[in-house]
Amino acid sequence: MKRYQFLLQKFAWALFTILFVLVLNFFLFRVLPGDPARAGVRDPRLTKAAQEALRVRFGLDKPVINCFETLNPLRLGDCWVNPLETQFFIYLGNLLSGDLGTSYHTNRPVAAILAERLGNTVLLVGLGTVLSIVIGIALGVVAAWRARTLIDYAALVGSLVAWSLPTFWLGIILLLWGSTQFGLPLGGKATPGLAFASPLEAWWDTGRHLLLPTLTYTIIFVAEYVLIMRSTMLDILAEDYILTAKAKGLTTFQILKDHALRNAALPIVTIVALNLGFTVAGAIQIESVFSWPGLGLATYEAIVRRDYPLLQGAFLLLAISVIFANLFADLLYSFLDPRVQTG
Amino acid sequence: MTSSAPTSDFRAFWRSVRANRMALAGLAMLAAALLVAVAAPWLAPYDPEASLRVTIEDVYAPPSAAHWLGTDDGGKDVLSSFLYGARVSLTVGFFASFISVVIGGLIGLTAGYYGGRVDNVLMRFTDIILVIPDLPLTLVLVALTAPSLFNIILVIGIVGWTGTARLVRSQTLAVKERKFVTRARAIGASSPRIIARHILPLVLPLLVVNTVLVISLAILNESTLSFLGLSDPTAVSWGQMLNFAFTRGAMSVGAWWALVPPGFGIVWVVLGCTLLGYGLEQILNPRTQSHHLSAGARMVARLTERLTSQEDRLARPPAPRPPDDLSAAPVLLEVRDLSVEFVSPGAAPARAVEGVSFSLRRGEMLGLVGESGCGKTTLMLSLLRLLPASGRITSGEVLFLGRDLLGLSEGEMQAVRWSELAMVFQGAMNALNPVRTVGDQIGEAIRRHEVVNDAARLDRRVCELLDLVGIAPERRAQYPHQYSGGMRQRAMIAMALACNPQVIMADEPTTALDVMIQAQVLELLASLRRQLGLAVIFVTHDLGVVAEVCDTVLVMYGGVAAESADVDTIYNQPQHPYTQQLLKAFPDVSQVGGRLVSIPGYPPRLNALPPGCRFAPRCPAAFARCHTEPPALHAVARAHTASCHLLDPAEAGRRAGRAA
Repeated sequence: MKRYQFLLQKFAWALFTILFVLVLNFFLFRVLPGDPARAGVRDPRLTKAAQEALRVRFGLDKPVINCFETLNPLRLGDCWVNPLETQFFIYLGNLLSGDLGTSYHTNRPVAAILAERLGNTVLLVGLGTVLSIVIGIALGVVAAWRARTLIDYAALVGSLVAWSLPTFWLGIILLLWGSTQFGLPLGGKATPGLAFASPLEAWWDTGRHLLLPTLTYTIIFVAEYVLIMRSTMLDILAEDYILTAKAKGLTTFQILKDHALRNAALPIVTIVALNLGFTVAGAIQIESVFSWPGLGLATYEAIVRRDYPLLQGAFLLLAISVIFANLFADLLYSFLDPRVQTG
Repeated sequence: MTSSAPTSDFRAFWRSVRANRMALAGLAMLAAALLVAVAAPWLAPYDPEASLRVTIEDVYAPPSAAHWLGTDDGGKDVLSSFLYGARVSLTVGFFASFISVVIGGLIGLTAGYYGGRVDNVLMRFTDIILVIPDLPLTLVLVALTAPSLFNIILVIGIVGWTGTARLVRSQTLAVKERKFVTRARAIGASSPRIIARHILPLVLPLLVVNTVLVISLAILNESTLSFLGLSDPTAVSWGQMLNFAFTRGAMSVGAWWALVPPGFGIVWVVLGCTLLGYGLEQILNPRTQSHHLSAGARMVARLTERLTSQEDRLARPPAPRPPDDLSAAPVLLEVRDLSVEFVSPGAAPARAVEGVSFSLRRGEMLGLVGESGCGKTTLMLSLLRLLPASGRITSGEVLFLGRDLLGLSEGEMQAVRWSELAMVFQGAMNALNPVRTVGDQIGEAIRRHEVVNDAARLDRRVCELLDLVGIAPERRAQYPHQYSGGMRQRAMIAMALACNPQVIMADEPTTALDVMIQAQVLELLASLRRQLGLAVIFVTHDLGVVAEVCDTVLVMYGGVAAESADVDTIYNQPQHPYTQQLLKAFPDVSQVGGRLVSIPGYPPRLNALPPGCRFAPRCPAAFARCHTEPPALHAVARAHTASCHLLDPAEAGRRAGRAA
């Protein structure tokens, strides 16, 4: 298979998955018991006129899809309306124009809320991911290289324990410990009401807020990378080409760097991609514990406040980011693996 | 199938579980958690439902004699809630994972068994679900339904089946093609019956491991949902306790006792599952004990045994001389009395090579022959000190130009490898790194041993080397998978030549190749030897090849040197019965109609060697002494030795006496 074919296939698949998520997102919020979409519009805090305006805006006065209520094919004629007038197409149209609805709670556009939250999540998750991958790979390599020694067993058992920690609970414990022992802030992104003399001070303040969430994220994710890296390396180091490298007189460091790690890149990319879904789960839990104003906290707040448009928007954004990140991993894979490049 | 078979299977399985510390620890942890959950009503000091007379002192009261783990925001006993919380958490974990495993198992079995379009559709669907982040999906589903325990179990179960489905599918695919399954299909058994009777039992072990891990994920998911305030507030799980404490001021009061125990409970159960799962997986897929970079067993035995071996050597005949035309050439490599053993815990050491001596002159081509498993490869690897971690050299010397390689430090040895002694490995498919270009891998060897500042010069040398072995230099930028088998083998030879070594050890370089390519590779080796004055050790079990290209031959059997001589002598006057048998087992084109005789039996197991001659159990000429006493190496003629009692002059005399 040529590379462009591979890429094209992956790209088409990602588009199809996004479409699936769009449809799922639409129906979940309309079909499930309780009819959340309508329930939201019937918010008693809104005036009758406002409720009616919302109903029209979201097209809730229109059928969900054509003949949704009547599934009898013989009676299709009775219920058929212009497809563009159905809720599903209105939803798609709104999405295309970037309209994710209005938050029930703050009455602001969901897209705007998500946009300002996205950066914070990228900062936290990005930092944590880089740290956990670097530390995880290093520890995993050392554990595999020194297999069946004390350092290997320590890394293995430590990782298994860390893997078993509920993310939010580790956050709570670190928060309890960090705030009482080191006076670290209890949450948020910036100390409220503080005026900063210089950007440097503002960064320092953000850094202090970022420390514990990042630490939590890193501990949770490092565990998995250590385990994966260790077992991948154990397999690779038993391969014949490692013996060749050793016979060539390469030093242990050269073998690890130029042969083993290079070959381990492939499985690691795959695992990082598979992990992206868990990344989102980690972000939701950590941001909730530390009140870090990102997408995860937005999701949590949306749940607590039954703010369905925000929840729907956050779910869509998270799912689509994971799909894109997966696509990116596939692309990276195709560049790393010569067998994909040249077939 | 007899009824006793599953029981004994189970016993064997249980034995391996007991031997695996991780699995055992996990099992014990889970059993303890289960016990706590079941016995909660008897263990709990207070009824978690009953509200106490709450005064302000009772709220978040620290641990005391009355409340071992203090009280929570409602003045309730944390210990009691903790014990009862185990019931909720475990219930959700078990039932939700049951749903996941049943859904995933059915989808995986169906996709794997029916294959084709069914498989395609089901796996594509699984891929889509897999890419949707599961916690947000779970959150949305739970948020949109009523927060009851039943709904939570249902949602967690329905979201978490993808991993199981993929695992079961791949296992089913692997199992489906086994003989008894295809046979059952051929005699017309129905598909559900085949799946239930033949496939499921084989998928089951992996499914059990997987279930353990699914349980731990379900418990983690439940606690997260509860913590985020999405579960049934009347069913107080550990996650729910954490939610109450976190949202009701435990953090600001510093009431760690309300926050630590529930989390500890979750970690306990999840860690128990993780350890059990990890241990079971180790039992099902045991990994090899070591790899190529494992710290090797130290060669402790060497110095002490060398003294004795030197005394021994005085009594033994000198190593065989190469034939006349080579005898003027200087000796490059001299191996004296080399012994190697492999140690494994709980077993006798395997004496893979014992007391082997030979020498190699410049330009000589030495054939090292013998059946598989007779120590040829081990001998070669020990010369470069590349034995796996379980192997160790127990005695001997490897003199390269007079310098004992066994006495060098690892750093000095690394400098010697490839620049002086290079190796062409068996099966070059795996001996070349699949993700680096061939040219890069050749250049790497040069860069390791020489200071190369000029990239263009390095590139030119790589091209020359490839040209030398008949590979178009343009192909240096290609990867091993783009080469044919014969080309890979030639590339490997080019790589071996990269640093102008004095000795090349070729370990069965032609076994995996077809006859035409075989001839090419052999011709290449022979011509390079003439051109470059290389000495070559050629490891093979193909006597025809040896006759064609080698000067001298060393026949190995069961780790010892059975016979060694120049190639004509070996073929025309073999003295050792093993050599004679080996030659009889080999087709000779010149003798039309000659019958091939295979050697009955198998080479000895190296950790259970016969006490006498290692070949005695298969030897047609064996007599009593052969079974009790290992033979010494006897000189038959100049440069011709064999280790056989028949060649002992004393034995010959005794036999003559008996005959008279």
